[in-house]
Amino acid sequence: MIRIAAVGDVHVDKDVMGRYRPALEDLPDRADALLIAGDLTRHGTPEEARCFAAEFGGLAVPVVVVLGNHDYQSDQPDEVTEVLTDAGITVLEGEATVLEIRGHRLGIAGTKGFGGGFAGACASNFGEREMKDFVATAERYADSLSKALNSVECAALVALTHYAPVPETLVGEPLEIYAFLGCYQLGRAIDSAPTALALHGHAHHGSERGRTPGGVPVRNVAHPVIKQAYNVYQLLSEEVDAVLTGAG
Amino acid sequence: MTSDTDLEAEIQRLLTEHDRIAEQGITVQRRDHLVVLGGEVESAQRRDEICRQITAHFPDVEITCDIGITRAQAPSEVEEIS
Repeated sequence: MIRIAAVGDVHVDKDVMGRYRPALEDLPDRADALLIAGDLTRHGTPEEARCFAAEFGGLAVPVVVVLGNHDYQSDQPDEVTEVLTDAGITVLEGEATVLEIRGHRLGIAGTKGFGGGFAGACASNFGEREMKDFVATAERYADSLSKALNSVECAALVALTHYAPVPETLVGEPLEIYAFLGCYQLGRAIDSAPTALALHGHAHHGSERGRTPGGVPVRNVAHPVIKQAYNVYQLLSEEVDAVLTGAG
Repeated sequence: MTSDTDLEAEIQRLLTEHDRIAEQGITVQRRDHLVVLGGEVESAQRRDEICRQITAHFPDVEITCDIGITRAQAPSEVEEIS
């Protein structure tokens, strides 16, 4: 059995510090790792990254993250990544990591991802250079996710993105902005490997549950969607106790 | 001058692009002469800043703020994935 905690879109800055910490201090009693699906900061500055690292780092369990679009706002994703890495947080972008948990190998492959839309309403690689660049960007992120997912051998494989891989978890958002919230290529990447669970954020008004066309469970863990500090998912279980130890 | 039809878009862009706000998850809906703001943010300061900036940029617009603060308590349940 492996339990992973997950949340996204926490948008940490000075004014948020201390809000999550009480719930995070108990997290090692409830889960074996914490995954965060991007938008760690508001503007993507190193200073905000330090605030995030202080709030979400230093836990007794591994913390694995991808960056989100907010974390690119100041054009300093490398500096943000360096701050997080120095704090012991694993940052994935087109890469995978393996955690050894209770004798099981948990593989996590991550990318920020990008928009582009879904079947019936997606951007095409045609016309102006700007549109081709938009589609190429989405495909580049999706390809990197597929390669990362297929690069690891593990007992349970999790895909971690910021943008959504399916439209089902966007229900609640205006249809007009679906193409800015995710793309079908991410779903195809997830289905290219034996993925057990896909986690994403970005869609604050979306829905929690969906599945890829290949049947992989998808969970939108954006903080305004889950409405608590984090959710906990159990993988590789023979039976599940739905009540968490230490829950008050 | 901002036309009525552009108002929601102008407010939405202000909420996203203003350095002190940077919120993409706020809904902006027109109801008669009111603009109703919805969604959730991470702190009361952020909610108050949103209202302050809209009032400063659009002084003739009357706003109703239904923005909540996202709860951050620990979970009590686990979901089995199968």
